[in-house]
Amino acid sequence: MTNPDVLARIDALQIKYQRALDGADMTGWLDCFGEKDASYICTTRENEEQNLPLALMMDDSYDRLKDRVRFITEVWSGTYEDYQTRHFVQRLDCADKGAGLYAVASNFMVAYTSARGRSEILAAGIYQDEISLAGNDAKFRSKKAILDTVATPRYLVYPV
Amino acid sequence: MDTQQALPFRWPATYSEIPKEVFHREDIYRLELERIFYGPHWHPMAHIAEVPNPGDFKTTYLGEAPILIIHGDDGKIRVFFNSCPHRGTQLQTCSRGSAKGITCPYHRWAFDNNGGLIAAPGSERFPESFRKQDYGLRALRSDMVHGLVFATCSAAAPTLEQFLGADGKEYVGNVLGGDGRLNLLGYQKVVYATNWKEYGDNEGYHAPLLHRAFRLLQWQGGNGTQCVTAQGHKLITAELQASRNASFLDDASLVEFRDKKLPPRSVVVNLFPMSTMTKHMDVINVRYSFPRSPNETEVHYAYFSHADDDAAMVRHRLRQASNLLGPSGLISLEDGAVFNRLHEGSNTLGKVRFQKGVNGVLEAPAFVEQNDEASNLVKWEHYRQIMGFERDQP
Repeated sequence: MTNPDVLARIDALQIKYQRALDGADMTGWLDCFGEKDASYICTTRENEEQNLPLALMMDDSYDRLKDRVRFITEVWSGTYEDYQTRHFVQRLDCADKGAGLYAVASNFMVAYTSARGRSEILAAGIYQDEISLAGNDAKFRSKKAILDTVATPRYLVYPV
Repeated sequence: MDTQQALPFRWPATYSEIPKEVFHREDIYRLELERIFYGPHWHPMAHIAEVPNPGDFKTTYLGEAPILIIHGDDGKIRVFFNSCPHRGTQLQTCSRGSAKGITCPYHRWAFDNNGGLIAAPGSERFPESFRKQDYGLRALRSDMVHGLVFATCSAAAPTLEQFLGADGKEYVGNVLGGDGRLNLLGYQKVVYATNWKEYGDNEGYHAPLLHRAFRLLQWQGGNGTQCVTAQGHKLITAELQASRNASFLDDASLVEFRDKKLPPRSVVVNLFPMSTMTKHMDVINVRYSFPRSPNETEVHYAYFSHADDDAAMVRHRLRQASNLLGPSGLISLEDGAVFNRLHEGSNTLGKVRFQKGVNGVLEAPAFVEQNDEASNLVKWEHYRQIMGFERDQP
């Protein structure tokens, strides 16, 4: 049984992450990751199950995470049709890996709403996360979003 | 299945104008499926790297038709309709896998990996005229270049080599690592809310203008060529130049060109009607694409490494493929945005009007400037003729 304080800190980080993405706050998104050994991978269950290493987004260092923010806020700005997301996350498993590190699995479902106001499911899947509680703030050491939604109904601008 | 009758639809007299209706009309879309997708043209289905061993299979689509590609026990790769020849049940439901054979779940008809019917329960009550050899999986005509398997539904299609032409075949090889000896890295799949022809109408004019990354990175394309063949294929090549402001990125390795075994150039092959393959930087990419309706186009981006790559090179290709050129790529996301916005915007009256490089009527094969959009007009003229749309008199 994981200590309730540990679970509360983990859940608070997941909520911070959801709030950042649903608010299109990319600085807030970046702040969910530790600066050392950080990684964000967004891939599909199809690639995972077939042992195919390709991803939809592969930010395997803090520098890459910063560049992801730059893609969205500077490079693509003004070209894409924006959309509002709502992330729903439900924690499934939490395992203590020692030294303040926890392996956490959670289901997610992301709804999106186009500028015309039509809402649909953007993606459903599972997060496989490594969360460090060693410092003052909980941070993702690694976050992997594995999409069951193999062919997404629109192109992804934001991370999931 | 062709109705042999053109729709009562007139094409504008002006060569550079395309009526917007063709991106939206259901009747035109149905005729496109008949004449183009199920007509005498070839479509890439799978690279051998996706089905490397006997028993391996992949499912995909040709037009709207579900397709099953199997690496046979005899070593031959065949392209079938993913449909039981008995009552039409879909046979394989997953995207890739490996199997000892196929059994249709409905009546347990069993097929070997070469497509032959092995057993059909209750056949003692079948008509006397029933012969097993008439009920193998329905194979499409298929052929392979540089390991890439193409198929056509039409007996009237020319050979694949004639369809591609000598230049087309060479360019396909240039994309596929020079010799087609590839390993699969994985897929990115997406649905664009666009007509397949809008997806296919991308050109060189937009590249430095839409994709801000080129400007921010001070990353200009070098000298290049663009050729449009009589079959409506576009073959594009450009010298690769290094970014002069790579430090715009915190991780500039994303825009490094490392594979020194290949000529330092990017290659883009757009095959009629809508298949694209690219070799850009160190990314080797085949885009399998198919229409789902007049308003939806699904694209499966498949990425590869080369058989001679060391682990570091595979890793580099993987990072570049995952972040640079796909539906969420640094220099490609905006294409998806434009595909969708074109389709929303073309649901208006009138015509789209090409300008850059338009200089009278182009005859195929045509060499046009790398950053011109006029090349697409050769393809449009090919389309008009296939569809049987008569041009208005000027």
